[in-house]
Amino acid sequence: MQDRELKKGSAELLILSLVQQQPRHGYEISKLIELRSRGELRFNVASLYPLLYRLEKRGWIQGRWVEKAGQRRRRFYRLTPAGRKVLPAQQHAWLAFVDAIQRITSCDHA
Amino acid sequence: MPDWKPHLQARLEALNLDPGRGPDAIEEICAHLDDRFHELLGRGVSEVEAVSLALDEMIGPTQPRTPRPLKPTSPGCPNPKRAVWLRCGFKSIFDDGRFAWRGLRKAQGFTAVALFTLALCLGANLTIFSIVNGVLLRPLPFPSPERLVVMYNSYPKMGRDRGDSSYMNYHTRRGQLPAFAEVAALREDAAVVGDAGTTEQVHVTRVSAEFFGTLGISPLLGRAFTDAEMTPTSDAVALLTHAFWREHFLSDPAIVGKTLRIDGVPKTIVGVLPANFLFLSSKARVYLPLSVTADTCRVENLHNNGVEVIGRLKPGVRLEQAQAQVDAHNATIGRTFPFAKEVTAAGFHTIVAPLHAEHVASIRPILLLLQAGGLLLLAIGLVNLVNLLLIRSSGRVKELAIRQSLGAGRRQILQHLMMEIFLLALGGAVLGLALSLTGGKLLGQLDLHQLPLSPEVAWNGRMALVTLLAASFTGLGMGIPVAWFHLRTPLASAIHAEGRGGTGNLAAQRLRHAFIVAQLGLAIVLLFGAGLLGLSLKRAMAVSPGFRPDHVLAGKLSLSKTAYSDDALRANCVERLVQAATQQPGVGLAGITTDIPVTGSHRPNVMTIIGYTPTPGAAPFLHEQYGVAGNYFAAMGIPLKEGRFLEPADSARPQRVCVIDEDFARTYWPGRSALGQRISDGSDTRSESEWFTVVGVVGAVKQTDLTDRKPARAIYFPYRYFAMETVFLVTRTTAASESLQRALQRMVRQVDPELPLYDLRSMEVRITDSLILRRSPALLSGIFATVAVLLAAIGTYGVLSFAVAQRRKEIGVRLALGAQPIQIQHQFLTLGLRLLAAGSGLGLLGAWVAGRAVQAILFDVPAIHLGTLGATVAIISGVALTACFLPARRASQVDPLVALRTE
Repeated sequence: MQDRELKKGSAELLILSLVQQQPRHGYEISKLIELRSRGELRFNVASLYPLLYRLEKRGWIQGRWVEKAGQRRRRFYRLTPAGRKVLPAQQHAWLAFVDAIQRITSCDHA
Repeated sequence: MPDWKPHLQARLEALNLDPGRGPDAIEEICAHLDDRFHELLGRGVSEVEAVSLALDEMIGPTQPRTPRPLKPTSPGCPNPKRAVWLRCGFKSIFDDGRFAWRGLRKAQGFTAVALFTLALCLGANLTIFSIVNGVLLRPLPFPSPERLVVMYNSYPKMGRDRGDSSYMNYHTRRGQLPAFAEVAALREDAAVVGDAGTTEQVHVTRVSAEFFGTLGISPLLGRAFTDAEMTPTSDAVALLTHAFWREHFLSDPAIVGKTLRIDGVPKTIVGVLPANFLFLSSKARVYLPLSVTADTCRVENLHNNGVEVIGRLKPGVRLEQAQAQVDAHNATIGRTFPFAKEVTAAGFHTIVAPLHAEHVASIRPILLLLQAGGLLLLAIGLVNLVNLLLIRSSGRVKELAIRQSLGAGRRQILQHLMMEIFLLALGGAVLGLALSLTGGKLLGQLDLHQLPLSPEVAWNGRMALVTLLAASFTGLGMGIPVAWFHLRTPLASAIHAEGRGGTGNLAAQRLRHAFIVAQLGLAIVLLFGAGLLGLSLKRAMAVSPGFRPDHVLAGKLSLSKTAYSDDALRANCVERLVQAATQQPGVGLAGITTDIPVTGSHRPNVMTIIGYTPTPGAAPFLHEQYGVAGNYFAAMGIPLKEGRFLEPADSARPQRVCVIDEDFARTYWPGRSALGQRISDGSDTRSESEWFTVVGVVGAVKQTDLTDRKPARAIYFPYRYFAMETVFLVTRTTAASESLQRALQRMVRQVDPELPLYDLRSMEVRITDSLILRRSPALLSGIFATVAVLLAAIGTYGVLSFAVAQRRKEIGVRLALGAQPIQIQHQFLTLGLRLLAAGSGLGLLGAWVAGRAVQAILFDVPAIHLGTLGATVAIISGVALTACFLPARRASQVDPLVALRTE
């Protein structure tokens, strides 16, 4: 799953899914991706934040600064109504893609 | 807490951040780094290490794309110079493009000639390339096609380098050779399909159960054959090709399980093959099981060749490994073969070869030579155009010098010139592609469908790429000499020379002349090559086929084993066919044969000659064998040399008789009569009553093709004793053959309503068709040569005309001072002759190379055929001198007054 193309196609979907339930900040998102993929997927700062900003620019997620005493303020991202609409389509497309790949690769030619 | 900001500032570019985000983004990432820092500390990492780790991970190895420079957002953008340069560069290229376009439109004559030449030369090359691509380059449409191999039995000392394999080869090899993932067998065949009265003959391929698995394809509908279906009692199944399914069953999705009548027997359709499935050049419409009786799998049949054996190598296995295993396996199995000594004497071995390369082996040299011819033509065209361009740029020296003096740099001038050339090249390539796509239809005349893998001239990605490459190559080919000329010429002095009306730039003149020499030389090479191929075709056509092909119409019939279960039934049917055909109005004589000459097909066998002791260790001779009935010899026009032809009564005589050809007689009984000699078609252990006595000797016919020089050593049996399923009805006609075709088909239906007569062609057409691999190259190279000669003539004429125009003033002065017009004319003719002599020298050298290159595909023509060479040089000389004569005469007619006045 380290393949670049695959990751590129799936990255948006991963982020949208992670902020679907509750708002999360960037570090949390990157940790969750790493944890839930059991270390197979990793996002560094240079790939994660440009992607977050892009999604925000598209209006699919929205960031909001939250301040806590004794800590730096953090930016939490939540899914917007527009993002909520896009998510099922993205999930569907991804599943279809995975299914197609599986159908192709599971056919074992001599 | 570490201060991350300076670190982030230093890495800003690599972080890919939207500059519009500004300090917010920095703060957000600082928070991220804080978190990471704390996490690392929690794991016991030291502070210094944690800082360095957190920073390193920011732009780690898993970053999905390469860093991209930030978009300029402020006046202080990192790289403003580059952006401006790019914009200016594009603008200047665009301006040059526009300017070049205007220039080309103004010089309409030049542009038309240039585009026409390029379109013709590139079109010819693209057409040939599309065939080369379809036949030689495109991989076979199967998964991992490079692992597919074919296995041949070879008996070189018997004159049979490449033969089929035997069913036993397949049977004993499958599963036994570790190098192979699969081994399969197949046999091309024909079958009668449909219900009585509406039957049609279709090509079928009989395949073993592993065939489709070996190729790596599975049926679109249903399933492939199974091992259990490979016996005569269980083989009533069929697989349809996609086209057959579409045409006969309107793509019925519920076809599997339905039945189709094949050779009178209902067969269950078990599947439909995918739409794009094509095995090499197979014409098969239906696939059937290659079923055999247990009897076939006896060791005696080890060399009973008649099937093709293919295999798929396991991944990573090399061809040599497979070959070694097959060799070792042959040695083991061969020990028990009763005639092991004979086949060893014949040099028997099996050749394992890549399937694709082997299939196109015969046409590869021809296609490559044609492509080479096309490239030569392109070279001539390019030389021509370069000369035109040089002349054109000589005329523009003044204009360019003025542009330079107004501040244009050398680079800009060159860019301007190159733009024009590349526009021409691109235009020529597009026109060439269009020509090759429409001209591809003309190639129908060249019987492309008869080539292996049925290539077609079609637009595809590779063609587009090659067109683009051709355009670039052409552009460079024309651009480099022109650029060289301009870089060498000091423009100021050029203006001076031009103004003085002198003889122009000497270097440019030399270059132009060198190009004419090259062009004449190349034209000689092409014309000579075409001449050799043409002569070779002529000689092949002049070969006597051994029979009189005029007025002979022949068609094919399949007397299937299901309808005609034994030899006697088939012999009876054949007799009825001959009788009915003889009574047909318009038919003079009729006969039947099991194989027809000049078709490429043959089934040679060894014979035992009673009383003949072969030289010890020598390989036995192979003999063409035929079963004939009716008046076959007379109908085909095969002459009788000695004795008599076979008669209908011969089938019923207690003593078996046969007829042999003169090659046969000469081989065994040189200088004496072969009549009364006896031959056995098996081993001499057969009982004497089964021996055949020679009653006649006939002329030898060409069985495979006209250019086959191997003696046929043919033997003709009465059909009763060689009752093969496939037979040809041969008729010598007195009426026009077209009207007779339908009558004959009707007549055959009357004898047996299920029996279609197909592949009806006159023998003259068959002979013509058999020469396709000689005719098409000869025709194409002839076209190339004609164009080449034309281009050479245009080139010579153009350069000489230019020389005359340039020296008009000098000629005017000389004439005014008393020179005779004839002297002026001679001067230019001498120049032409000098160029011609140099070109001929170069051409002769090239012709020698070309002759060697085509030698392999020539028939009865030496590589250096002096007659052809002489004629070639004569034609080129005639054309070049005519092209010189016109400008030379114009030079002698210059009016001194007019010439000097223009000064």
